[in-house]
Amino acid sequence: MKYELVAGFETHIELSTKTKIFCSCTTEFGGEPNTHCCPVCIGLPGTLPKLNRQVVRYGIMAGLATHGEIAEISKMDRKNYCYPDLSKAYQISQLYAPLSIGGYVELSSGKKIRLHHIHIEEDAGKLIHQHGDTYVDYNRGGVPLIEIVSEPDIRSIDEAREYVEKLQQLMRYIGISDCKMQEGSMRCDVNISVRPQGSETLGTRTEIKNMNSINNIAKAMEYEYDRQCDLLESGAKVVQETLRYDDATGTTSSMRSKEDAHDYRYFRDPDLVTINVSGEEVEEIKKSLPELPAEKCRRYVEELGLPEKDAQLLTKYRNISEYFDKAIEGIKAPKTAANFIIGQIFSRLETEADKERFDIKTTPQQLNKLIKLLDEGKIRNNLAKATLEKMLDEGKDVTEYISESDMAGLDENTLNDLCKQAVESSPKAVEDYKNGKEKAIKAMVGFVMKNSRGKADPALAEEKIKGLIK
Amino acid sequence: MVTREDVENIALLSKLFVPEEELDALTKDMQEIIDFADTINNASESGESFDNINNLSNVFREDEVVESYKSEEILKNAPEQAEQHFLVRNRE
Repeated sequence: MKYELVAGFETHIELSTKTKIFCSCTTEFGGEPNTHCCPVCIGLPGTLPKLNRQVVRYGIMAGLATHGEIAEISKMDRKNYCYPDLSKAYQISQLYAPLSIGGYVELSSGKKIRLHHIHIEEDAGKLIHQHGDTYVDYNRGGVPLIEIVSEPDIRSIDEAREYVEKLQQLMRYIGISDCKMQEGSMRCDVNISVRPQGSETLGTRTEIKNMNSINNIAKAMEYEYDRQCDLLESGAKVVQETLRYDDATGTTSSMRSKEDAHDYRYFRDPDLVTINVSGEEVEEIKKSLPELPAEKCRRYVEELGLPEKDAQLLTKYRNISEYFDKAIEGIKAPKTAANFIIGQIFSRLETEADKERFDIKTTPQQLNKLIKLLDEGKIRNNLAKATLEKMLDEGKDVTEYISESDMAGLDENTLNDLCKQAVESSPKAVEDYKNGKEKAIKAMVGFVMKNSRGKADPALAEEKIKGLIK
Repeated sequence: MVTREDVENIALLSKLFVPEEELDALTKDMQEIIDFADTINNASESGESFDNINNLSNVFREDEVVESYKSEEILKNAPEQAEQHFLVRNRE
């Protein structure tokens, strides 16, 4: 029997605020153990948490970027569980009244992965298990998170991969998180089940935790899909449980036994008052958001006439798209700028991280000047390309490499002379051409181009050479 | 109605060990605590909804860093510590 995969995601994203969610300790990554802590974030009795204004703002931004509805009233709740990563034996989170409700993330196919909600909460401390004991560092305890909970709308591993990439891209665009999976500032739990193709009812799901890269998510889901299919095929049942993905073996294993089953006894946190968000505030935040990648991509295709593939590449990271936007100001052919960036500039940026940083010597204004010369027909494409290489090496202006005389083009007499020289100096090519070898003409055009330092119009030169041979 | 099983379950979730002979007494105590808290349900409703005693909302902090405590201070109350960490021994 064929089985369909059904998956939903719970994605934790660490917000890039300066301070923790309920106290003024720094959120800086790393640091000596237990040096970014105070009585509030280690949960000493008698302390009072006070909500960081920026956390609410970032949460609203995340909600708006994913088309969610911002709740006028939201509240903080306590999620109780006893584990050393939580100093208070409860985590302050939101269950009953989260900050953003609904919304969706759109995939490139146009399919919308619906979101259930987005809530704000505090991160837990870091545990290091060593010699059978546990070492606890509370530096990360109290760092603000948003949790983005999707509906079970994902039907394939490719969709899962794209969903995570799109979320990562969106959150980086609006600047609320660096979303580094390796450093743990973005973490995904996947709820996954299978059902016979065509069935409408959901199968029993398992939850996989502990995946620190998109590739691991894909591998874990693949393993779990096969495992569940095999179970059903053999007539057994899937047990609802939480699984840990082991990167080394590529397998999942049970994380919690039955007696530890979830029983969080959520209740309203009496230490924290209601969050009221006015319509005006939501409007103000909406206006402050940058153009989002999906809108940008659409605009590049529809208004600038770029191919979809180019638009995707240019909007992948905010730095690149902003560079491109500046480089094409007042330009007639944006495609030229796109070609320069995707071709020559990308070839210098090896990794995805390099592309994201987009740290290159040429400013968008400098590239703009170069393209304007092309636009106005003052220089030819091959000269522009060669010049851009030098600009990228040295970071200087286009005027450093191309003089006024270079831009003047080639006058008719010089071109005629060069063509004559080309014919005279290559009797063999002339002979070949006369014998029907069309390609032989290229060698002579090449001579003209070389001796005019790229300034000649190759089509015109070819025409003149043909005239001379006849 | 609080049952012996409820008390056992809560003890388990809270990682507390409760001796068998104390279960009955604890069940009775917890029932009394809940009955007391239930008093509030019998209070007449004014019809006005209220969220907290002062009806406060939007109490925020600005996102400005204040120096944290020294780790010696933070670890002062730790029952056990090692290498600047809180140490939790495995009891199993």
